[in-house]
Amino acid sequence: MSYPTVYPTGVTVYNPKKAWNGFTIFQAREQGALLIDMNGTEVNFWQGLHGFPNKMLPGGYVFGHLGERNNNFGMQDQTDLVQVDWEGNVVWKFNQYEFIEDPGEEPQWMARQHHDYQREGNPVGYYVPGMEPLVDQGNTLILVHKNVKNPKISDKLLLDDVIIEVDWEGNIVWEWACNEHFDELGFDEAAKNILFRNPNMRTSGGGMGDWMHINSMSVLGPNRFYDAGDERFHPDNIIIDGRETNIICIICKKTGKIVWKLGPNYDSSEDLKKIGWIIGQHHAHMIPKGLPGEGNILVFDNGGWAGYGIPNPSSPTGAKNALRDYSRVLEIDPTTLKIVWQYTPAEAGFLMPTDAEKFYSPYISSAQRLPNGNTLITEGSDGRIFEATADHELVWEYISPYKGEKMPTNMVYRAYRLPYEWVPQVERPVEVAIEPVEVTTFRLPGAAPMGAKKTTVIEGTRPYQGDKALCVAAGDEAEE
Amino acid sequence: MSFTIYTATGCTRCKIIKQLMNEKGIAFEEQDMKAEGKEAFQKFYAANRKAIFRGPDGVEFPLLHDGTTLRQGIGACVAYLLSGTKLDGFFSVGTLHKEWVDGIHVSGGNPEYTTEFLAALQYIKKGNNMKLQMDTNGLNSAILEQILAQDLADVVIMNVLGPKELYSQLAGKAVDIDEVEKSLSLVTKFPEYKLQTTVDPVVREDGEISYLSTKEIGATAKFIAEATGSMKNPYLVKLFKPKECKDERFKTIEAMPAGTLLSYRTAARAHQVFVEIEKN
Repeated sequence: MSYPTVYPTGVTVYNPKKAWNGFTIFQAREQGALLIDMNGTEVNFWQGLHGFPNKMLPGGYVFGHLGERNNNFGMQDQTDLVQVDWEGNVVWKFNQYEFIEDPGEEPQWMARQHHDYQREGNPVGYYVPGMEPLVDQGNTLILVHKNVKNPKISDKLLLDDVIIEVDWEGNIVWEWACNEHFDELGFDEAAKNILFRNPNMRTSGGGMGDWMHINSMSVLGPNRFYDAGDERFHPDNIIIDGRETNIICIICKKTGKIVWKLGPNYDSSEDLKKIGWIIGQHHAHMIPKGLPGEGNILVFDNGGWAGYGIPNPSSPTGAKNALRDYSRVLEIDPTTLKIVWQYTPAEAGFLMPTDAEKFYSPYISSAQRLPNGNTLITEGSDGRIFEATADHELVWEYISPYKGEKMPTNMVYRAYRLPYEWVPQVERPVEVAIEPVEVTTFRLPGAAPMGAKKTTVIEGTRPYQGDKALCVAAGDEAEE
Repeated sequence: MSFTIYTATGCTRCKIIKQLMNEKGIAFEEQDMKAEGKEAFQKFYAANRKAIFRGPDGVEFPLLHDGTTLRQGIGACVAYLLSGTKLDGFFSVGTLHKEWVDGIHVSGGNPEYTTEFLAALQYIKKGNNMKLQMDTNGLNSAILEQILAQDLADVVIMNVLGPKELYSQLAGKAVDIDEVEKSLSLVTKFPEYKLQTTVDPVVREDGEISYLSTKEIGATAKFIAEATGSMKNPYLVKLFKPKECKDERFKTIEAMPAGTLLSYRTAARAHQVFVEIEKN
């Protein structure tokens, strides 16, 4: 979303009759975990509780982290994963993945968690009828980092993505390392070439290649495909996506093998071509059973820049060789590869492609399917969280007013909607509709209204044309 | 006694052995398997297939044969030429290449021949600028001490067999645990060292065979911490491989799934924070 200089923050649109009403949890930039109601009232603010992301559990519990590793040495490593109660007491904590001794820092155990985690009982970390995450027992899947060397991928030090499963006592009972499955990811020679030379090198820790950058990890849960006998979709299997590689894939929990995959290339079949090139995507997950669209893959396809492959004018080396300057939310049937629902700039009402960048977050972001068929979308880079109906009507919108000082942005990594019942500590809030402001007549004090003082008529003028003769093809012409 | 050395063209280790034989005035015949000696080597290999080690990169050279005795690899050849069979057990065929020599077992030989063992190491390392990787299970700590004093090892890998209580059983003979403790304290002083424990099967008091338990690996990690005074040693927990086992009692035991090692890592981490586990 390209914002003007002045714009409102907080809730800007709210239709209580069409929205799926509840609380929303997100990380207020450089502040803490913030729980708001549908009108934006800040119900609880867990000050200083980091959130990569924050998620709520029934009973008013919130997940988060006590801190982040010094960026000079670690890339997005959270020190731990903690479950905190309504009053801020830590009731569960995991940090014993790696013992870290960074120069000038206190030696300590760290989880090195990043981007995602899932508590047993619920596959995706958001509200699903009948699938409540456990709050006082159960295992937790955690996405963590580990530095590795793997000459098959690159001669550089790699920042690898690892999934661990820990029990309630903190014992690691299952582990999966992405670099060990490099051969299953389907890279062509051009991709392998640039990956070897530059596996997305970042400066932390003296340089490490964040080659895959998994940003989402969730469980499939019960689903219609497995019920019909398709073993690829075993309920225990895990779906991940790798931002740098444009890959979405499903891991067999039992064998660790990759059993279903989209990407890294999207031009090898007609079905893939119809999907179009997914780029830098986030939050790819299977819509859990019990929600509209169950079984389909929901993903925030960011666009922006990502991928490894053949060099082109925008990518002389082949690094981040796919580009697109708008985002899409796609719902894809994983067996037919058909797009069954989407929210793109076109559905948002913007002229394609000339105004497409008005729905655009080149990094972070997410999409959550709600029980009434609506979708809560975090257009993260501009701190915009909004809810759209199945027929794309905007029924709730919130712009985060929390802009960071250390990093001047109001970005929101990922927001989640949760039912009022998950927070028994507070009364159900009053829901007050907020009608969309008519922007053509909205004025700040001192600004003149529309309407010319004098209208001058010229004889012989002709009617205006449509959109077929812009400097670039747009609208109907672009679609043709 | 007539010596035959089987070599490969360009093999530095072979040159070292030939040089040693020349220095000692030992006459020998050379068969280069990549040149004119190809046929002779093939014949020799066919006749001695079981005694010749084939590593991941093929047959390791040199091979030294005196008509009755066969020695393979630089360490074993130097030892045999300098001391005959006295140093048997200290050397086996290694798998490292270029300037590195392994297959050197500090605990494997007779400590009565310490002087001869050190002389062989001196010849390989100081005389020929090779780098030595050795292993120990804690026995022959006095030899390890002299190796440290004479700067003869570049890397030492210590196989810590298990917790104190089971050490003798795992070693297959009576072990003075003080000696193992002494080796542990010495091993951390080498330029590079690694500690490792294989989750071995153990015959229990009731005759049952079971793998070392997570608790016993935890106790091993604690033993290491106490003996070295550090919780930060590089420490690897390895899987037992029944197929490679020479002990008939354990050959038929079911292999432990790799994922099982996760719980062993957790147990060991309470005392050694940098513990890693072997992958399949």
